[in-house]
Amino acid sequence: MFKIISFHLRFDCLSITVCCCYLVLVMGKRPIVVLSSSDDDAGDCNDDDFSLKLSCLNKSKSRTASVPRTRTKKVRVSSSRSHPGKNANPFDEMRLFCEDFGESFTGFKVSAGNRKGNKELWLDKYTPSSLAELCVHKKKVEEIKVWFEERISTRKDEHCNYVLLITGQSGVGKSATVHAVASHLGATICEWNTPTPTIWQEHIHTTNAGLRYMSKLDEFENFVERIRKYGLISSSLTGEQQKPIIILIDDLPVINGKISYGRLQRCLHLLVQSVRIPTVILITDYSREDTSDYTSRCWEDLQTFLQSVGACKVAFNPITVNSIAKTLSKICKGENFRITADQIDVIAKASGGDIRHAITSLQYFCLKPGSITKAPHAIDYLDDGHSLPFGRDETLSLFHALGKFLHNKRDIETLTASDSVLLKEDFTRLPMKMDAPERVLGQAHGQARPIADFLQENVLDFVHEEAMDDAWVATSYLSDADTLLASLAGVQYKNYVAENIIQSTAASVAVRGVMFGNRHPLSSRWHAIRRPMLWQVEQSRWRNKKEILGQRTTACNGVNLSDLSIIATEWNPALKWLGFRAFEDDTRHLGGLVNDDMVHNEEEDEIEDW
Amino acid sequence: MASSSSSLSSHGYEIPWVEKFRPTKVKDIVGNADAVSRLQIIARDGNMPNLILSGPPGTGKTTSILALAHELLGPNYKEAVLELNASDDRGIDVVRNKIKMFAQKKVTLPAGRHKVIILDEADSMTSGAQQALRRTMEIYSNSTRFALACNTSSKIIEPIQSRCALVRFSRLSDDEILGRLKVVVDAEQVPCVPEGLEAIIFTADGDMRQALNNLQATYAGFRFVNQENVFKVCDQPHPLHVKNMVRNVIEGRFDDACSGLKQLYDLGYSPTDIITTLFRIIKNYDMAEYLKLEFMKETGFAHMRICDGVGSYLQLCGLLSKFSIACLTAKA
Repeated sequence: MFKIISFHLRFDCLSITVCCCYLVLVMGKRPIVVLSSSDDDAGDCNDDDFSLKLSCLNKSKSRTASVPRTRTKKVRVSSSRSHPGKNANPFDEMRLFCEDFGESFTGFKVSAGNRKGNKELWLDKYTPSSLAELCVHKKKVEEIKVWFEERISTRKDEHCNYVLLITGQSGVGKSATVHAVASHLGATICEWNTPTPTIWQEHIHTTNAGLRYMSKLDEFENFVERIRKYGLISSSLTGEQQKPIIILIDDLPVINGKISYGRLQRCLHLLVQSVRIPTVILITDYSREDTSDYTSRCWEDLQTFLQSVGACKVAFNPITVNSIAKTLSKICKGENFRITADQIDVIAKASGGDIRHAITSLQYFCLKPGSITKAPHAIDYLDDGHSLPFGRDETLSLFHALGKFLHNKRDIETLTASDSVLLKEDFTRLPMKMDAPERVLGQAHGQARPIADFLQENVLDFVHEEAMDDAWVATSYLSDADTLLASLAGVQYKNYVAENIIQSTAASVAVRGVMFGNRHPLSSRWHAIRRPMLWQVEQSRWRNKKEILGQRTTACNGVNLSDLSIIATEWNPALKWLGFRAFEDDTRHLGGLVNDDMVHNEEEDEIEDW
Repeated sequence: MASSSSSLSSHGYEIPWVEKFRPTKVKDIVGNADAVSRLQIIARDGNMPNLILSGPPGTGKTTSILALAHELLGPNYKEAVLELNASDDRGIDVVRNKIKMFAQKKVTLPAGRHKVIILDEADSMTSGAQQALRRTMEIYSNSTRFALACNTSSKIIEPIQSRCALVRFSRLSDDEILGRLKVVVDAEQVPCVPEGLEAIIFTADGDMRQALNNLQATYAGFRFVNQENVFKVCDQPHPLHVKNMVRNVIEGRFDDACSGLKQLYDLGYSPTDIITTLFRIIKNYDMAEYLKLEFMKETGFAHMRICDGVGSYLQLCGLLSKFSIACLTAKA
């Protein structure tokens, strides 16, 4: 869309109405953009610079020269949100340009001005603005700060890399840290922001005018090209005092296939090699269940690739429950909600280390203050049959149900009055001291796969040491459940009913099998329920495989080894046997090959389906 | 919504009762009391957080969102709500263009109200499209909020889950469905017997939409709701029949069970239908723990084979005989 504006400007077809509506759209969110477009009106920027500048200003938001260095962030927030009245100042320039549609402009001001404290997402309201407010681990923050300081203070070419790669699961404060560190150092953040897309109709409309329809990947490539060739500063920040600039790339284009992956990879490679401005790339890690997904695998590949070409990587861990809880209680104080420490703790735990989700959950939870003061059962899932009806970490809401299944409490007396046939003693069990397992499962919102995994991990702890038979009965039923679930894995069932039946049979078989098998449960001693080791094993297995595959394509120069097991059992041991030197030679050789990576990638294509 | 429906039906068209009796107020929504009470507060106070509603079909997810949006936005609904479901094109381009354009659109709303983008059946969006949604969600959060409905929340990518409050809906209890059915029966003056409603509840299996559809179908077909008619219309094996089959097996009358199965099969029910009903019966049948476990296991395996394409009569017979074997081994 920016492109379109500039197009109109340059060719003086200023049909105000068209421009007007575009600008209103822009303004609706971000007034600063308008300022720069009036700049552009007077200036002589070329097309490239213009859109680059926009994308840069889009995020930095604080392009006022008067802003004191240390308070960049604060001003950023206030200028865009809370005081629209003050906003008028930087707009003086653009008034002239947009007097015609002052009406819609004031409309914008009204909607922004009415914003009260409690009409915002708490996420936005409590965005950390200083280093102290971050709940990321101090060491990581320090690491990032030092990295930036080194690159900002010494403006020489002594550093070979200017790219910082930050990874971590979603909601661990990756971008928040970058923003906070930048404001601490008084740097300006220029975020690469997907340019507003051309709508298809627009594209049809303007094809004659020579505007191409661009995919996000194209745009990204252009962006990188521009940064490489012209740098960022030249046009946009002349005349201002030299503020350090940080480029933030958060929203990498989506990859859908080998070709686009190759393009993105090459593009990033160029970026890493040539950029001379500190650049941060954020990549979100995905946890276990997504590993089969192609795109998420690509992101991991991309990470290793970026590292191999010299980017510095910092991996963020999930945020600890304690620091989440601390932040949550601070927010509660700020909002004047009174929530018990236990409740906060539960929310923090349920978020699974994702502070963004924790805050959102808290906001959702605080909607109903009534339940907070007098009805603890809504959240205190440990005592009551109800599980947490929200929260990201499904496994947590499972624990209660799992405990019931594993402890396997039975009534003492048997009710012989039932009409059913008499069974052998081996096959009779005392009645359960709980609802039907299916009901408990339904309340726990459990999926079959995690339930089976958890049971498998923990069941042996709850079986009496002597009772070997119990163990095998339980295990054999678990394996049956696993078989049932495996039938789900391959096929994508379009039929919800069929999938549902398989899921519920598998869950029932797993649960009932464990309960049936465990005839001699240990007396209710305290046992912690562990997360399945299986998940870690699976993850590392997959990682190893990928590593081996990587070696195959680079190290075995020209040799097409198609079998993983051959690499693992013969090639690698042989290399080791030949000694370290041979291997190092090989890797040095490998370094030279990076440029030819594309070639190898294509090779990989062909042998991918081993 | 209600007014338009009544005008339509006066023309002689019978609009689906699912639509006709869809609650328009959040407080009228049946079941999931905790979630609904929170949504009510959102409807009153505004400032809706981004939401993901997840749960099995027919539990009121879409209805909640629609009612919420109506209550929040009132007369502005038309311009301030963008509703996309699986039947709309929701590829990556749509997310980038339509949703983003809508998010940038300026609509004058009262304080604390935001534009709402409703993505129904969000789990059927490709992960690429979901990725593209991620940033949009963040950037426009002070003017636009998202409400996603899906069956399984795990099919929503993590970055989006992280930005939303997750609200879980569970299946409706039989009482809740019965209460709503009674309302509809009274309003439409459907002649019925309690057993008929019971049968409808059985066929619905906690799915309100299914229940209402079945009720309407039975009424339209026979003008009277009793057990017989319900199972005829819904074209499911009669649960009593299936129940008898199971009882025969447990009590050792294998021949009777087989002939019962043959009858069902000859009526034209597919093995999938039969096994689905069978599973529901076994789940609720009062039998010894071991038998229930074995029966469920075997049903699961048979269902798996049927899904793999081996949907023959022989499979079902084999299933019955496996039941008998389990009974025999266990019997004293």
